[in-house]
Amino acid sequence: MSEITVFKARKIITMNPANAVVTHVAVKEGRVLAAGSESDMAGWGDYILDSTFEDKVLMPGMVEGHCHLMAGGIWNFTYVGYQDRIDPDGRHWPGVKTIEEVLDRLKQIDAELTPEAPLVAWGFDPIFLMDRRLDKTDLDSVSTSRPIAVIHSNFHLMTVNSHSLDLVGYDENTDVDGVAKGGNGTPNGELQEMAAMFPVMRRLGIDLRQLGRTEQGIVDFGKVCNRAGVTVAADLLNELPDEDIEDMRRITGDDSYPIRLASMMNALSQPPEETRERAITIRKKSTDKLRLGAVKIVTDGSIQGFTARVRWPGHYNGAPNGIWNIAPDQLKVLVSCLHEGGVQMHIHTNGDEAIEAALEALEGAKIQNNRPDLRHVLQHVQMADRAQLRKMKQLYVLANFFSNHIFYFGDKHAALTIGPERAQQMDPCRSARDIGVPFAIHSDAPVTPMGPLFTAWCAVNRLTESGKVLGEYERISVSDALYAITLGAAYTLQMDDEVGSIEAGKRADFAVLEEDPESVDPALLKDIEIWGTVLGGFKHPVPQ
Amino acid sequence: MTINAPLPTTVLAGFLGSGKTTLVNHLLRHSEGQRILVLVNDFGSLPIDEDLIRSEEGGTLTLANGCACCSMGGDLFEAFSAVLDYEPRPDQLLIEASGVAEPARIANFARAEPDLALNGIVTMVDAENFEVARSDERMTAILEEQITAAQLIILNKCDLVDEEKAASVQESIRRLNASALLVSAEQGQVSGDTIFATSLSKALSKTDLVKLQHSHKHEDLFERWSYEGKSGFKPAEMRELLNRAGSSVYRFKGLFEDLDKKDTYWSVHKVGPYIDIAPYRTDAVTGSRFVAIGVKGTDLEDILAPLFKVRVDA
Repeated sequence: MSEITVFKARKIITMNPANAVVTHVAVKEGRVLAAGSESDMAGWGDYILDSTFEDKVLMPGMVEGHCHLMAGGIWNFTYVGYQDRIDPDGRHWPGVKTIEEVLDRLKQIDAELTPEAPLVAWGFDPIFLMDRRLDKTDLDSVSTSRPIAVIHSNFHLMTVNSHSLDLVGYDENTDVDGVAKGGNGTPNGELQEMAAMFPVMRRLGIDLRQLGRTEQGIVDFGKVCNRAGVTVAADLLNELPDEDIEDMRRITGDDSYPIRLASMMNALSQPPEETRERAITIRKKSTDKLRLGAVKIVTDGSIQGFTARVRWPGHYNGAPNGIWNIAPDQLKVLVSCLHEGGVQMHIHTNGDEAIEAALEALEGAKIQNNRPDLRHVLQHVQMADRAQLRKMKQLYVLANFFSNHIFYFGDKHAALTIGPERAQQMDPCRSARDIGVPFAIHSDAPVTPMGPLFTAWCAVNRLTESGKVLGEYERISVSDALYAITLGAAYTLQMDDEVGSIEAGKRADFAVLEEDPESVDPALLKDIEIWGTVLGGFKHPVPQ
Repeated sequence: MTINAPLPTTVLAGFLGSGKTTLVNHLLRHSEGQRILVLVNDFGSLPIDEDLIRSEEGGTLTLANGCACCSMGGDLFEAFSAVLDYEPRPDQLLIEASGVAEPARIANFARAEPDLALNGIVTMVDAENFEVARSDERMTAILEEQITAAQLIILNKCDLVDEEKAASVQESIRRLNASALLVSAEQGQVSGDTIFATSLSKALSKTDLVKLQHSHKHEDLFERWSYEGKSGFKPAEMRELLNRAGSSVYRFKGLFEDLDKKDTYWSVHKVGPYIDIAPYRTDAVTGSRFVAIGVKGTDLEDILAPLFKVRVDA
């Protein structure tokens, strides 16, 4: 075999403005040797021409800058969501639109399970079942002999059957916040928030973190990425004990593993100095397919859960302000400590008060220590206003916007959480571009499905689930969106020198598409079929 | 006690610098034979006095007196799973919540999980810095929530402020929570019995309940009440009785036979507004027995005796 392979394609979008569109890319030792016309390749010596992609469009492998390993393992459970989805093994799961369809699916799975296995489902969205709520009686019609738990799409609620209620002793005498009761004073099967759900989860073996730790879960995560055209994915919260790092090195190191994985250590699991030392230590365990050493700091909660920290005038429906996971004063100490030690931070900030606290902390840290080598990132940063974006520009802090929210939660944000004005300015990609804040966009899978082209579609069209345009001004062009899901995201991971574009010297990581995202109707961006990917020169077709 | 008795769980809340860690160390040092498992949530630091520590393994500190201390990490699910699997089984679980945690949310785990029983929410308040911390608008709600959710409030660092300031902080606390037990402390020195109510549990397991009323072993905060009778109660009726008893009954514990089902027993525990009535599997009990404490001057007898007399007369 020649050591040079030249891939021929209908079109190759390089993301290198000096050589934007080509037809051939030569690969050697897993890296791009050259991108250009076939004649441009000739001078590099003998090569094998691979025409697999001659009818397809190549672009840089897409970079999902904020998701969770759990996006693979969650498919251990039965999907009962409203939207169609495809599982890691390619099984198509049509969306279920009524309670009856949910129950039919559960009955079908019930028939496949062994008698002692619990039946656990996920993705259930009560927003679309307005007429009445799912309750234990519905689930008892599926089975009374095995425990059933249906996890709602937000992971903050579940509905269980009577068997599950009996297992944990929830009855008419139970007086616990979150154990909802029906008209007759007995629990109706709906459990709200982790405390009320915990006894059921413990007894049914529903351990969400574990889903992202098993070999099968990590392998399935790779498959989810591959189907979405993703070659680099950032797992945004991990405890990263030594044994997990060894597993992750081994699993990702296999040639068949289709992505490079970046995993961010939880900075709130130990004191600041220990976080700093541990981040620096594990950075050295990075490989070409596993990136370690950056950390995640979670400051507030979620906007849809009313747990984000929002500034005056607060929530549109009058709900009280959200929660801090770390006090602003402690955040300052932590951020300064990590900044001084050279540790890159991904700071979860949904509400504008959390953004403000994070920027205050970063400003203080940057006054104390000049570390031009570091790019810190605000994650989600959904409610940033233009003044905050100017501050981010000034402090050189990057943004990774949660653009999928516009589709999945945009209607709710306008109607309930933050009201029409602030909702239309959410995830402000255009303002970030105006002001010059480098940005990426993300899915937070499995909170919303992974699919950078879908995320790009959200940023370009800003359509909500009900079909309304939410904030026309903040729309961006297709080319800006494609940049955000490749180089833009790579930049937030401090990996833009090796991935995110197709140019000499970079890793040969490509997404292979059936259509050209630059020429399709922007309204159809999300519907482009993905053949698979190329990682380090190896083809990874989506299994059929 | 039966083998399956749930693990008493105490949530210790309080803003940064209020003295939670000092209190934890004090309780561990004076554990009086109780095996206390402490879960720490302020970034998982385990600031336990060196001389208490016997060994450290996998983020868990083991103490010479049988107590242990481990980090909660970032995830309550994992933390509670680990606690419930912990061997040997502790006698008390003490959760040192993070400075910004809502203690009621953590306490709700203990209310929901059948293998845990909420012993109460204890909030420490720094007499010196409370008003300053509270004036930060971003912190106001959480600091107030920590106080309103508590059944026992420890006003700490009273040695560092003058009487006038202590009184004004007390008044602020009282406006937020009129019913909690409020005690003053210096350097986090509060007895394990005040926190865990161990003498109350012991009294309940003794045969001669009457003596309890005259015991002065416990520090002089409380007055006590006890009851022993042959007749049973209905669980719903018990809840109603305790609701009527109100917040001046700081803590109420007991066992009772089901009025409708002979030889079926229930345990009952009330702390503040939380009433937990759960099946009690045992064959070592007959009749019904209760103990209660309230702040001195509560006149528990006047409140409880009429309520419970209903059954005796019936």
